[in-house]
Amino acid sequence: MLTVAQLLEPLARHRTNEIVVTTMSVVRPWGRVSDSDLDFASADSAMGHAADLALGIALARPERRVVALNGDGSMLMCLGTLATVVEMAPPNYVLVVSDNGEFEITGHQPVAAGDRIDYAGLAEAAGFRSVYRFEDPRAWAAAVPEVLSCVGPTFVHAIVEPGTEGPIGRTDDEPARYLRYSLADWSDIFRSALAESSGPLPAPNEPG
Amino acid sequence: MSRPSETISLLVRAGITHVVGIPDSTSGPLFQEVRRHPTIRLVTVTREGEAFAVASGLWLGHAAPLVVIQNTGLLESGDSIRGTAMRMGAGIPVVVTGRGYAKMARAGVGPGAPRTLELMTRPDVDSTALLTEPTLEAWGIPHELCGSGDDPAEGVRRVVEQARAERRPAVLVLTRSFT
Repeated sequence: MLTVAQLLEPLARHRTNEIVVTTMSVVRPWGRVSDSDLDFASADSAMGHAADLALGIALARPERRVVALNGDGSMLMCLGTLATVVEMAPPNYVLVVSDNGEFEITGHQPVAAGDRIDYAGLAEAAGFRSVYRFEDPRAWAAAVPEVLSCVGPTFVHAIVEPGTEGPIGRTDDEPARYLRYSLADWSDIFRSALAESSGPLPAPNEPG
Repeated sequence: MSRPSETISLLVRAGITHVVGIPDSTSGPLFQEVRRHPTIRLVTVTREGEAFAVASGLWLGHAAPLVVIQNTGLLESGDSIRGTAMRMGAGIPVVVTGRGYAKMARAGVGPGAPRTLELMTRPDVDSTALLTEPTLEAWGIPHELCGSGDDPAEGVRRVVEQARAERRPAVLVLTRSFT
């Protein structure tokens, strides 16, 4: 089993220009290992919609890899997104499910059937092109470069120990910089950073 | 009176890059045209709340999505609209096809009728239509109705402009067909 830090640190080490979308129990931990304007915290509680939000970014920016750091509870709230991803088949999309078996930040309540669900099996059956499952931190750390470069859509099921994260707010004293802004203000920062780092953006209605 | 192809032309002129949603019998012809379109991409989702998250992601990536869903799905979408597009200040135009408006008219009631237990359980009233506009008002989402005699393409043009100008979702409730 991985700790959240063992899940996130190798990803931060190997990350180059990827966009990273976080939600729930990984929002603050990711902010401790990354401080990029291309990080986006889907932290205003939208009932499991981080994976589909990240899908939208991946479809808009096919030249950029987009990594969604989802939770198991969030994944269960929006399982249909597995089908939507497969239907659109973005090769630049990586969905990581950090499976700790509980709704950590709302008080460690167990998720339904959390000890039985095989998320990698669900992704494989749905038709994800590349599917991985990790329990060993060394195996995960060694595989990150491959995960970030293989042809997607890619799915990673990571078995993770429950952490100690509490409810997420957006306040000036949050250690994670992307939580010191309103979602609207950070959206502007993100969009500006994406435009600056991507070069000229496609004109409206150009294919792709 | 506009046809889907006229609406498509309007979407191209308005710079719409993606249509995101779930089709019904009203929006089906539009979805078919978008599916064949050379530049506008169709994203068919599995439930309507997903449409707003995908559209918000598209907006973050500098694309210009249009969400097209039925009013039943709009009611399902509440927390997704709130937690994504509205919190982000994303100017996303939305077409909501209005199930139940004809039935409501035949029953002699309108969206302003008091939502009593008697009304909400009447078999001749579709409670989806009854709740659509009050729900949009409660959520603070600007909206307009497009009924018989109104031009859907013109209505779409207005909500696209309004959503972009006000940086929030704006909704056209379509109670007639596209054709």
